[in-house]
Amino acid sequence: MKLKIITAGFLLLTAVSCKKSFLDLPPETSISSTSFFKTTNDFTQAINGVYAGLRGLYETGYVMGEMRSDNAYLVYKSNDRGNQNITKEQVASFTDDAQNPYSNSKYYSCYNIISRANAVLGTIDAAQLDEAFKKNIKGQAEFLRAFAYFELVQYFGSVPLYLQVVATQAAASLPQSSVADVYKQIIRDATDAAAILPAPSVQVKGAVSSGSAYMLLGYVHMTLKNYPAAETVLKSVTGLGYSLMGNYADIFNPANKNNTESIFEVQYMQGASSVQSDFAYMFIPAVTDTKPITGVAGNNQTFGGWNTPTADLIAAYETGDKRKNASIAMGYTDGSGTFIPQPYIIKYLHPHAVFNNTDDDWPVYRLADALLLLAECLNEENKAADALTLLNQVRIRAGLTSSAVTDQGQLRDIIAHERRVELAFENHRWLDLVRTGKALTIMNAFGVLQKQTYSYLLPNTYNVTVNRLIFPIPFDEIVLNPKLIQNPGYN
Amino acid sequence: MKKNNTPVKILCYAGSKATKWLAKNSTYLIFIFLIFLFSSVKLIAQTNQVTGIVKDEKGKAIEGASVLVKGSATGTPTAADGSFTISVIDNAILVFTYAGMEPKEVSVKGKSIIDVLLSQQASAMSDVVIVAYGTQSKRAVTGAIQTLNAKELENLPVTQVTQQLQGKLAGVQITQSTGKPGQGMDIRIRGQSSISAGYQPLYVIDGFPLDQGQGSDINNINPDDIESISVLKDAAASSLYGSRAAAGVVLITTKHAKAGKSSININSYYGMQKVPQKGRPPMMNGVEFAQFEQDVFKAQNLPVPADYQNPSQYAGKGTDWYNILLRNAPIQNYSLTLSSSKDKFSSTVIGSFFNQDGILLNSNFKRYSLRINTEYKANDRLRFGFTAAPTYTINSSPNSDGLLWSGGIIQSAILTSPLAPYKNADGTLPLNATGPGLFPNPNWYNVVQQASNVSNNTRLLASTFGELEITKDLKFKSSIGIDLGSNLYKQFNPSSVGGIFNPPPTQTNATQNNYSNYQWTIENLLTYNKSFGKHNIDVLAGYTSQRFKSNFNSIYAYNFPDDRIQTLNVAGNSKVNSDIQSWTLASVVGRINYNYNQKYFVSGGIRRDGSSRFAPNTKYGNFPYVSAGWILSEENFMKNIPVVSFIKIRGSCGLGGNNNIGNYNYYAGMSASNYTLNGALAPGKVIGNLGNNNLSWEKTSQLDIGFDLSILKGRVSFTYDYYSKITSGLLFNVAVPRASGYSNILVNLGQFNYWGHEFSISSQNIVGALKWNTDFNISFNKNKVVKLGSTDAPIYGDYNITQVGQPIAQFYGYVFDGVYINQADFNKSPHANDSQVGTVKMKDLNGAAVGDGKPNGKIDANDQKAIGNPAPKFIFGITNTVSFMNFDFTVVAAGEYGNHVMNATQEYTQNMDGVFNVTKDVANRWKSEQDPGDGIHPRVVVGTPLARFHNSRWVSDASYLTIKNIALGYTIPLHNAKYIHSARVYGSIQQAFVFTSYNGANPEVNNYGGNPINQGIDLTTFPIPRTFTFGVNIGL
Repeated sequence: MKLKIITAGFLLLTAVSCKKSFLDLPPETSISSTSFFKTTNDFTQAINGVYAGLRGLYETGYVMGEMRSDNAYLVYKSNDRGNQNITKEQVASFTDDAQNPYSNSKYYSCYNIISRANAVLGTIDAAQLDEAFKKNIKGQAEFLRAFAYFELVQYFGSVPLYLQVVATQAAASLPQSSVADVYKQIIRDATDAAAILPAPSVQVKGAVSSGSAYMLLGYVHMTLKNYPAAETVLKSVTGLGYSLMGNYADIFNPANKNNTESIFEVQYMQGASSVQSDFAYMFIPAVTDTKPITGVAGNNQTFGGWNTPTADLIAAYETGDKRKNASIAMGYTDGSGTFIPQPYIIKYLHPHAVFNNTDDDWPVYRLADALLLLAECLNEENKAADALTLLNQVRIRAGLTSSAVTDQGQLRDIIAHERRVELAFENHRWLDLVRTGKALTIMNAFGVLQKQTYSYLLPNTYNVTVNRLIFPIPFDEIVLNPKLIQNPGYN
Repeated sequence: MKKNNTPVKILCYAGSKATKWLAKNSTYLIFIFLIFLFSSVKLIAQTNQVTGIVKDEKGKAIEGASVLVKGSATGTPTAADGSFTISVIDNAILVFTYAGMEPKEVSVKGKSIIDVLLSQQASAMSDVVIVAYGTQSKRAVTGAIQTLNAKELENLPVTQVTQQLQGKLAGVQITQSTGKPGQGMDIRIRGQSSISAGYQPLYVIDGFPLDQGQGSDINNINPDDIESISVLKDAAASSLYGSRAAAGVVLITTKHAKAGKSSININSYYGMQKVPQKGRPPMMNGVEFAQFEQDVFKAQNLPVPADYQNPSQYAGKGTDWYNILLRNAPIQNYSLTLSSSKDKFSSTVIGSFFNQDGILLNSNFKRYSLRINTEYKANDRLRFGFTAAPTYTINSSPNSDGLLWSGGIIQSAILTSPLAPYKNADGTLPLNATGPGLFPNPNWYNVVQQASNVSNNTRLLASTFGELEITKDLKFKSSIGIDLGSNLYKQFNPSSVGGIFNPPPTQTNATQNNYSNYQWTIENLLTYNKSFGKHNIDVLAGYTSQRFKSNFNSIYAYNFPDDRIQTLNVAGNSKVNSDIQSWTLASVVGRINYNYNQKYFVSGGIRRDGSSRFAPNTKYGNFPYVSAGWILSEENFMKNIPVVSFIKIRGSCGLGGNNNIGNYNYYAGMSASNYTLNGALAPGKVIGNLGNNNLSWEKTSQLDIGFDLSILKGRVSFTYDYYSKITSGLLFNVAVPRASGYSNILVNLGQFNYWGHEFSISSQNIVGALKWNTDFNISFNKNKVVKLGSTDAPIYGDYNITQVGQPIAQFYGYVFDGVYINQADFNKSPHANDSQVGTVKMKDLNGAAVGDGKPNGKIDANDQKAIGNPAPKFIFGITNTVSFMNFDFTVVAAGEYGNHVMNATQEYTQNMDGVFNVTKDVANRWKSEQDPGDGIHPRVVVGTPLARFHNSRWVSDASYLTIKNIALGYTIPLHNAKYIHSARVYGSIQQAFVFTSYNGANPEVNNYGGNPINQGIDLTTFPIPRTFTFGVNIGL
């Protein structure tokens, strides 16, 4: 009898229910995407996720934005021929190929933003939420998608247009759309964003506003040489209540984040939350101890020494230009008290607590940029007087005298020069050169100087051709998606 | 180790002395054994005449049976009439043996006539083997199963169970990828592979399937606990394990007391490990390196630093970085087994302590284990069993293996300047080891000792069962098993450690990982066994469910004020990470075995699995099999061929699955991607991956045809199997264009085919006083990729490519074509971006796309191709066992043929930038058009990048034959011993010789471990030592 009880006990113990729930085990550490995108909190987090994609874009954005141009170069590390160094040098010297990690990263980062924006745009309309909130989120997502496509089309030319969340393997490979179609999409998104986004005065600080969207449209129309359209949207920007900061250096001080001049800046915060910036440490010289330069001890030998100001740029600052010392340090005094004459960028170097962990935002669009772009536009429309008013606002703030040149050609060069020094190291120079059609002449001439200065540069460097005005589609993308066609000259 | 004189410590000390001596004097040892041998012969002095006749059960005289005096070389064969005459001492014991018969021992004790009846052996063919959910007589097995018993493994004093299996199993490739104590064994049954689901077999210990993730670590199973190991290779054998069976199953049975016997066994060994000279990296010495650096500086028109100006001053000086990290290290094991079976209660208790110092400084593996297996027979119908097996391991494992960028100490050290001292003249240790023009490096001799990486692992395997005999034929067995694990991993990097480019003193940091898991298994089995005349039937039906859950928390702490206190509370900052994983599995199993007259066998079975790992659409899967066997030798027409004593033909086909893909992969989860807005954290979420609601397990259908043959009265047995497997629905993390926002999606799309032949021969070459057995196996495994994803786009590993129509995971890279010897050569050859005279040249194979076959004069990424196959053409193993009197001698060898290894370490050891120490052959590099060197090594400094890309020069044949073990044992004759009933001593050498043409340290190397698409890569690993061991087995 006792044994029967024991046996029965065994049976009971082992008779685990066959209920279906036994086999349903969702992860305990994450939420399913199907149950997400419902509440305001969900969409707030989702749009933050889209912004977070900007960090990838700007982490190495300087390689293509500045080092490709005559503004910035690098400190050659003759004993560290690692691929991560060589490939950066190749972007600078126009010998890069389709496997370059920096141009690849630009491509991938843009699409990262796009797919995240698509996830928001694909669900926001159906959500049962407050309309004003929905408009605001939708406008931000449209802006970010348009912004990413604008980066893509400028740097890579014709690219595929992904406008929906990819849910299957089949949907993951799309063919390229024409440059014109990509621009159409950018204008559509940015125009809608400009219409539905709140004005900067009422928008959450740090989030994009209608001003950001008008600014983006301004750049788009300038690139397409639609000057009247550009004039309209850029005037919308200047009419939104932005004002220039009194002191140039204050614009970049983290104490003045999202200041009155700021139209759009990528946000960073120092500390342990993994949302810090670290540009300063890449831009200062590579040293075993950074304390004399940044005030914080550490070793940046493997990743420092990039985006260094060229002699050409340093010479471009007029005497008395306050922007020079706010942008560039001409060297540093090392631990033993010796001055090392190695120029480096200080625009993004401000007091911070931890090595390689800074608080500095990245300025994407700001009023001075809008003023100069509008000046460029007006000059192209033969409105030199109006252009000069805008140009001189920027010059006077920099401690310089007003310009009175009204010859269109001369003024064009003056505005371009002004943009170069005003916006130095803000990733505008290369695209400005391409937009204004000066890239080939300026960069080939610059290349000659470079080869005279640096004996290690091989004969095939700085051979700047039309093909080199855009970058190659990543090699891996071409392999994975047979519908893609590589840009000419990169095969 | 504290100096307290416990007996173990004394024994350990004595053992250590003995073994050090043994290691030095192994030849003397053999000599001394020989003296032993002759002296024991002399012991037999006074003799009597004994005569007799040897017959079999049917009364037929046996000719040629061996009559041997136990413990001596004295013996005689029987004559045609079965008679024999032999001279013996009075208290001798005679041993009668004959092939296919049970040996018999008879004590002489004054008898002068001894007639003996030998009975048919319960021979190999009627042995019982462990099969899925039960046992079966070997004769009735219709699947491909290979079994090894404890007896066959006892001569191999090794850390891990899998090491004991090397060279012994047909069709099973077992390699040791690293010499780290307690790690690095890789087992692959029938060439099985996968893309993202791994290929490690399922381990089942005493009926309980282990988790195949982190918990599957069988290294903390004490090899002394094991009674037998069955490897289930084909579908008939393994399909009852359903969704986990595709890669084969390893069934491990632990020791249980045998009815009516009580015993105490002490097993102990002590060994010394050494790193052989062969395979050490041939790095430049001080003189050569100083000369090399001098050339590097001159080539750049830079002033030569003082350190390199006079190379000859370093003659006989300098640091051999490889050597100073190594040591001779002891290995020891003490194990006590108590076994008793009386009346209703039987019990086996095994306690062990194992301790291995690694041959790399600061590496150590300790294991304390206990196992209690008990059974209680309540009455003749009901029995219960309980098992508890706790183990505790401590593993100190420096970050020794892999690339310098990931901190691999060995590679980093060999690349460090030999001119940098590891120790100062005053005995202190410098913090840094570098030189002019070199990267800042820490002193690796310091790093290996100061950085601590210790893992403490506690595990409890426990189970209980009840078995009720409902009727004579019907049995019900119910069992519950648990597997509890907990792992604490602690890493501490004091300020003196640092790394490459990050020389000390640096920030002190520490990592602590806590991992715990539990798993329970419930199993209810009903078995029915009945014979109806000549019809024998055996039915199994069962239900089983399993649940696994693990919790992981990791804390990384930094900003320690100093190095004195290592606990995390004193750190200034910390980061936390957590993970929870769980899975469930609910299954039914059923099987019918039928045979007619023990001659014709058929078997069929099925498992139905429901798994939490798969989406609702695909939660359940069925895994059936059928098999048949025919014992031909039972047929009358075979009786006319007396040479054949047994032959069975068998065949099977069926389905197995592989569900080893992680727990939540069908699921598109949101992952965190935070932003900050205006100075405050702004939490963000993004869709982390592409979900797939149709995701299912990989299915492997397998056909197996084979036969078992034994001839010459069982003296030679032969097994052959042909198999053909198709793995379809490969779980495939297919790369998608990243423009989609994702880099890949997990799908079931892809097919691999495998096929192969396995042969094993077991032969009793010599029987009688001198016995010599040979076991040999050889297997030919082939594979081919048939389908990959929807587009058949190749999959790239870090160094490998898996593409349709080709074998899995071939190496991928450029085809090396020498260097541009001179300007003329340069002008007529294709170029890469920065090619110059004296830089390396690769073959220009393609133009615009990979594989278009149109050379375009440019060397670029399109010119890469498959350049070698890490899979061997065949694998083999051979075990020779010779016994003579009380001596036994075993040699185990294992090998592979036709496998390639990519020695990717050469990317660094032949780097031409002048920033690392390099191999000696770099001295023959291109220096000028007049002095172009060996045409292989390019010029220094300029144009070096291309030489660093994966290329065919790094690929070499790594066929090998390794003498895994040589063991010589002596069973001490104990004629009148009262307390000891058996005693054996042995000496062994493991990894005795490695015959290979591979230019690296270890032809079995595989830095990516079980990652199926990254195979055969050598990124520098912990060398495998040669071990000299001395051991005793004592039975009380």
